[in-house]
Amino acid sequence: MNYLKQLGVLLACCVAGDALSILLHGALPGNVLGLTLLLVLLVCTPLRLGHVEQTADYLLQNMAFFFLPACLGVLEIFAQIKSEILAILAVCVLTTLCTAAATAFTVHIVFRLQNRQSEEAFDHD
Amino acid sequence: MTELLSSSTLWLAVSIGCYALGAKIQQKTGSALCNPLLLSSIMVGVLLVVTGTSYQTYESAGQLISFFLTPATVALAVPIYRKLDVLKKNLAPILAGALVGSLTSIASVLLFSRLFGLSGQTTRSLVPKSVTTPIAVALSDMMDGLAPVTAIVVVFTGIVGAILLPTFLKCIGVRNPVQMGLSIGTAAHAVGTSRAIELGETEGAMSGLAIGVAGLLTAILVSVGSILFG
Repeated sequence: MNYLKQLGVLLACCVAGDALSILLHGALPGNVLGLTLLLVLLVCTPLRLGHVEQTADYLLQNMAFFFLPACLGVLEIFAQIKSEILAILAVCVLTTLCTAAATAFTVHIVFRLQNRQSEEAFDHD
Repeated sequence: MTELLSSSTLWLAVSIGCYALGAKIQQKTGSALCNPLLLSSIMVGVLLVVTGTSYQTYESAGQLISFFLTPATVALAVPIYRKLDVLKKNLAPILAGALVGSLTSIASVLLFSRLFGLSGQTTRSLVPKSVTTPIAVALSDMMDGLAPVTAIVVVFTGIVGAILLPTFLKCIGVRNPVQMGLSIGTAAHAVGTSRAIELGETEGAMSGLAIGVAGLLTAILVSVGSILFG
């Protein structure tokens, strides 16, 4: 019963997220809004981790499996993308390296700014 | 026999069986290349083709499985909530890193897709490729991309990230564990994070947080982008 009740809470967040998405004219996907809503509820309301935790962990641990049908959907559109496969894979590899390098560089800059700030604070003492 | 082949219960059982087998293979080999989702997609795909079962027939079982995607995405709030104190303590590097990383991901996809001459729809399917699958697929749908392409490309990105990123980042001089974890999580979501956890506790925690933060920021960026540029 516990798992079922917790699924109920998660599904309620899904529905509320979808409703919000419609209100926002689809500017953000319902699942992203549902996620945000659950986070806000956990932080700001009496809803506790214990009210969703077990079912949430179960779903998260099996998340990859739930994507199996989506991946198999490629069977249907394979002819459409056949000629582009190599280029798609190349784009994936190159952009992954760019993204990681840009993130690392940004974090590096933030650390330097923070260090400078704390050094300045130290000088004033 | 033909009736049995169109039963959604059969294909549900086959899907679970293939995924369990894939997970076992990964456990045995310990290799990021043996991703359970990738392995089970190939296994079920081969079975569908060999038995002459159409994807439309499989879809009745598929819908039962896909149903859990939305609650599973909402459940991503739980790991973020658990690490809220770490998030607060490192707010500036996490937000700035994930924001610039997400922007770079989108911009570099647009750039390289044009360079390699990919079609508009394929490009739109690749735009959210660095973030966790549920958010990526939802964004791809929103932009009229091809959801199956997005799903596979996200998994492939994760595998590439898990294999290449630790070495690549070390080569460009990354030594700090916070920096390492955030970069891997922003560029290669959960699959990369599983590798970051092996590097160390800080790397794993930062990478895990970056999944959620980069996912939300990318959703906002894509949403703003589609409003601005149609």
